[in-house]
Amino acid sequence: MSIQTTVVGSYPKPPPEGRPFTIRKTKHAIERGEATPEDLERAFDEHTREVIAEQEAAGIDIITDGHARWDDILTPFARHMAGFQIGGLLRWFDNNVYYRRPICTGKIEWRGPATVDQFKFAQSVATKPVKAVLPGAVTFAHMSVDEHYADHEEFAMSIARVLAQEAFELEAAGATYIQIDEPALLEHPEDLRLARECTYIITSELKSAETILATYFGDAKRLGPELFDFSVATFGFDLISGPENAVLVKELPSEKKLQAGIVDARNTRLETEEDLERSIIELGEIAGAESLSVSPSAGLEFLPREKARAKLERLANAAKKVGA
Amino acid sequence: MTTPELPGKGLWTTSVGSMPKPDYILKARSQYARKEIDRSELKELEQKATREWIEFQESIGTDVVVDGEMYRGDMVAFFAEEMPGLEIGGLVRSYGNRFYRKPIATGPVGRDKPMTVEWWEYAQSLTEKPVKGMLTGPYTICDWSFNEHYDSRRDFVLDLAKAIRDEALDLERAGAKYIQIDEPAASTRMDELDLVIEAMQIVTEPLEAHTITHICYGDFHRAYPKMLEIPVDQIDLEFANSEYGLLEEFSDHPFTKYIGLGISDVHTHEIEPVDEMVQGIRQTMKHIPPERIFVDPDCGLKTRTTEEAKEKLSNIKKAVDVVKAEL
Repeated sequence: MSIQTTVVGSYPKPPPEGRPFTIRKTKHAIERGEATPEDLERAFDEHTREVIAEQEAAGIDIITDGHARWDDILTPFARHMAGFQIGGLLRWFDNNVYYRRPICTGKIEWRGPATVDQFKFAQSVATKPVKAVLPGAVTFAHMSVDEHYADHEEFAMSIARVLAQEAFELEAAGATYIQIDEPALLEHPEDLRLARECTYIITSELKSAETILATYFGDAKRLGPELFDFSVATFGFDLISGPENAVLVKELPSEKKLQAGIVDARNTRLETEEDLERSIIELGEIAGAESLSVSPSAGLEFLPREKARAKLERLANAAKKVGA
Repeated sequence: MTTPELPGKGLWTTSVGSMPKPDYILKARSQYARKEIDRSELKELEQKATREWIEFQESIGTDVVVDGEMYRGDMVAFFAEEMPGLEIGGLVRSYGNRFYRKPIATGPVGRDKPMTVEWWEYAQSLTEKPVKGMLTGPYTICDWSFNEHYDSRRDFVLDLAKAIRDEALDLERAGAKYIQIDEPAASTRMDELDLVIEAMQIVTEPLEAHTITHICYGDFHRAYPKMLEIPVDQIDLEFANSEYGLLEEFSDHPFTKYIGLGISDVHTHEIEPVDEMVQGIRQTMKHIPPERIFVDPDCGLKTRTTEEAKEKLSNIKKAVDVVKAEL
């Protein structure tokens, strides 16, 4: 019985040390009028191929496209919705990473798929299933400014309805795993019901894709086991920044699955395979080996490329060993 | 509190720290990285660029000038390169298309020699205006580094604080009357604001200079008024980027220090019109008297083009002159 391995989302954009940083160079060249958007698309595609190959070579079972085209998880979607403008830079949770805050100035409407083409390309060059990732509506609402709805619930639900269309299109394009990221829910337990409602809106039209609700950067303890009523198959937790999550997962209902973030995606210190094996065995006893997948604690873009890769290799080796 | 000895009765102009590097510096830095030129050739150009920025600041009448950091790359990596215990790691992204080499603590962190004093002395030798000493704060160096050595963040931060204090003392001995200890990460975690304060206490306690800290990108609404406990004379904050939202807080809890009032967004190409800046200063003066206001851009200007930076700084000075004429 092998233990499934996955990633949470992003992958470092810089190349391996010593290789040209084509994405960065091309973006600079565009600013100087020396490259075209098509050149950048090619650079993104090339990078996507590489990071997919890298995840597969490391032994990861369910991969992502590494979010090559995304500066953060909100703006790629906000740019494709009527009603949003893109505002100033703000810190992304407690990281030295910044995102541009979406500003809602009008009625939010679907303007066509934001990420479906990226998904299709990634899946076409992958041999493993590519997981599609969406921001959760509650996180989206908290990280944005609402100048239109003046009602937090209505604002979040309007976002959820558009994300539902994106999820539907992603499934139609072949996505078998769709992950909804709700890191902001950890600091807003008062929004648990709203998040459940929004998650229901996003997932209700899906037929067969396996859905994951991912939290990271902290403890979900305050949310309590009520969280497990959400209409998703799998719950993702960050067991590094949220050590109390180890307690919460003991209450996971038997029909639900666990995506356990056991490798620190925000520090370079490499975990030993022995330590990872121990965590995997413990979690397997709690969730059942067939309901467990293991992952880094968050997106890997917080790490240099070499460290991200080394961490994935260790994770996959440990999972393989425990499975054997 | 150390009162600034500056001409006039307030509304002084300054800069947060970094300035854009001219093309010849960017070129020279990459040539140096490829070992096509040597250290002294690079340094000569860095001195030329420093002279140009000092001359520019003098030409528009800036009160407290900066050296522009022509010789620094990233604000944390610059110190990490000089400090035992810190290594330079791989590239990570901070936002958009901007990446930096994030340091890694691999052993006990300290300081074995002055890191910024020679450049400060050089810059001060070029001008009669006071030049600010520019340091990155201990909490920010910790927060923007990986940690493979320390068991706790506090241990890491306090070791850094002692090193930065020694650097600040050396700057003061060299004659610096204004020392800025940047803590842009200070508003990241509310539960660590006490650690920011504890570390800053170590740094500023023995100093007689006017001390400043710069904080940005944070949730000020949560960090205020607690941030007033950071033991410095002046807190420098971004106002343009947040549309002066923080001023509301000052009604409930008066701002008790000197303020560095950022009135130009450093992340946009747009040059804010003088009128808009004048409005911002007037609005601020409803809460803080002019004799406790320094006016500057929101943050370091290094991400702008040279022309944009100069226009922004010129407009700031023009806006200040408009308001001063009304006093």
